[in-house]
Amino acid sequence: MRIERKSWNDPVLVATVAPLALVMVAFLLVPLLMTAVLTFQTTQYYRLVWTWDLKIWTEVFSKPHYWTIMIRTVAMALVCVVLTVLIAFPAAYALATRLRTFKTQIQILIIFAFLTDAVLKTFGWILILDKNGVANWLLMHVGLPPEMLNLLFTPAGTMIGMVYNLVAYPMFTIYLSLVRIDRDLILAAYDAGASRVRTFFEVTLPLSRPGLYSGAVLVFVLSLGAFLEPKVLGGGTSPLASELIRQSFETRVNWPLGAALTVVLIAIGALMLVACAAFALRRTSATGRSA
Amino acid sequence: MMSQRMRNALVDTMLVGTVVLLLVFFYAPIATLVAFSFTSSRVLTLPIEGFSLQWYGDLFSKPDFWPAVRNSAAVATVSTLFATVLGTAGAVAWIRYRFRLQGPFRALTFAPLLFPQLLLGVVMLLWFSVLGSWLGFSTGLVTVIIGHVVYITPFALVVVAVQVYGFDETLEDAARDAGASGWEVFREITFPLLWPGIFSAAIFAFLLSWGNFYVSYSLAGTARTLPIFVYSGIAVGSSPIYPALATINLVPALLLVIIAEVLRRRALKRQASGISAS
Repeated sequence: MRIERKSWNDPVLVATVAPLALVMVAFLLVPLLMTAVLTFQTTQYYRLVWTWDLKIWTEVFSKPHYWTIMIRTVAMALVCVVLTVLIAFPAAYALATRLRTFKTQIQILIIFAFLTDAVLKTFGWILILDKNGVANWLLMHVGLPPEMLNLLFTPAGTMIGMVYNLVAYPMFTIYLSLVRIDRDLILAAYDAGASRVRTFFEVTLPLSRPGLYSGAVLVFVLSLGAFLEPKVLGGGTSPLASELIRQSFETRVNWPLGAALTVVLIAIGALMLVACAAFALRRTSATGRSA
Repeated sequence: MMSQRMRNALVDTMLVGTVVLLLVFFYAPIATLVAFSFTSSRVLTLPIEGFSLQWYGDLFSKPDFWPAVRNSAAVATVSTLFATVLGTAGAVAWIRYRFRLQGPFRALTFAPLLFPQLLLGVVMLLWFSVLGSWLGFSTGLVTVIIGHVVYITPFALVVVAVQVYGFDETLEDAARDAGASGWEVFREITFPLLWPGIFSAAIFAFLLSWGNFYVSYSLAGTARTLPIFVYSGIAVGSSPIYPALATINLVPALLLVIIAEVLRRRALKRQASGISAS
């Protein structure tokens, strides 16, 4: 891999970089700024009124209802992170170190499931989790009492859907950091007399941290916007932030409110991202020093 | 010694077991949908009493099904085109070039991956609504396409970047030494070597766009794509036509993913062996 230094006078660089950069500025950066600006506006008779006002922000911070939902959203996101990482790590580890024969096939199956329409997959979960659904039918046929599971339209149902839709992300990141580990380091640990367990905990696990952290942050940030799962599998009984945002647009036609709630969610996600990056950097420099 | 070996075997079995369980987890809803698409009954509960293809017919005769298919096809085709071209250019700029402001460029092009799709959609919806009230347009398929391009391009970029990373540029040098012009080098060497990655990125982009709900839902206005058609349908009540739709989606999508992955992997392997040989 050779790297080419390019100056902005080079038309090749402008042609490669400018179109994509322009799209992202015009349709991501500017919209984000506009969202921030909109939080200082107000509405009257469902129409936007351009002013500079803190009314929306006082409303957002003074209503306990919003707080409850925001805290619930963050709590659900944290649970989702723990569950997805617990599932993704052993699976990614197995895929990186065992299963040589079927590796390609398994990876294709995972990618395919990931790319399939989320609404349809979520609908599939309804059919499984329903009181008369596939899960209860199977449990009954292995001799357990009928209608044992009652997960549909509960937070547990929402969580199953969220884990289902997000677990592929940490799998990708953890897998990538595991396959990048130099095989010689592990062999060296064996040579030095370390057991497999000890090698795993002292070589493999620390070296897979980048994938672990980035996967966890990715799941956290993406779960903040979960909408289908609480709506379709949670039955709307314990709504998350996304439902609040949808309502402020559709039911209340209050753009400034929707914008403010969006800014709050993005801020929570960004804080987590920065905190995790700082933590990861400190950890890596610490291990670097001790090594 | 024996117990050590047994413990290792146990660990191996458990690890393989997690992957098997994960695949069961991934495919449980998909398999359920396929099974229920062939039921003869209207209620979606087990046991499935009889086999019928009636729900496929019902799906095709739904008046709002075909417009949704047409919209999804149009959106996915155009978004794929843009996302693949922009993603390929972006991948080359990410990996092969070093330039001023590359940091901000990387951050900006990677950012959509870190956004929940719903928020991405909402942020763009606000912008298009304000812009629309100034310029006099409303959201529709065009805004959906723009939203899909923003969301999907980073995925395409990552897929192509893997291919660019393993690129052997001595071949380009050889072509240049043999007197090829810049464009000829690109057409004869660079593109053919990168194309498995580009093709695979295009398939990814198409399927992500075809199945996208969140961004479309925010930006479609009154237009409907297939996921919106399903979402508004299941909000009213479940019906075996949705499993039928899932099943129809399945086969071509799976074929596309297999073709793309096999081509991409074969090319990567060839590159790897080429580099180690040289």
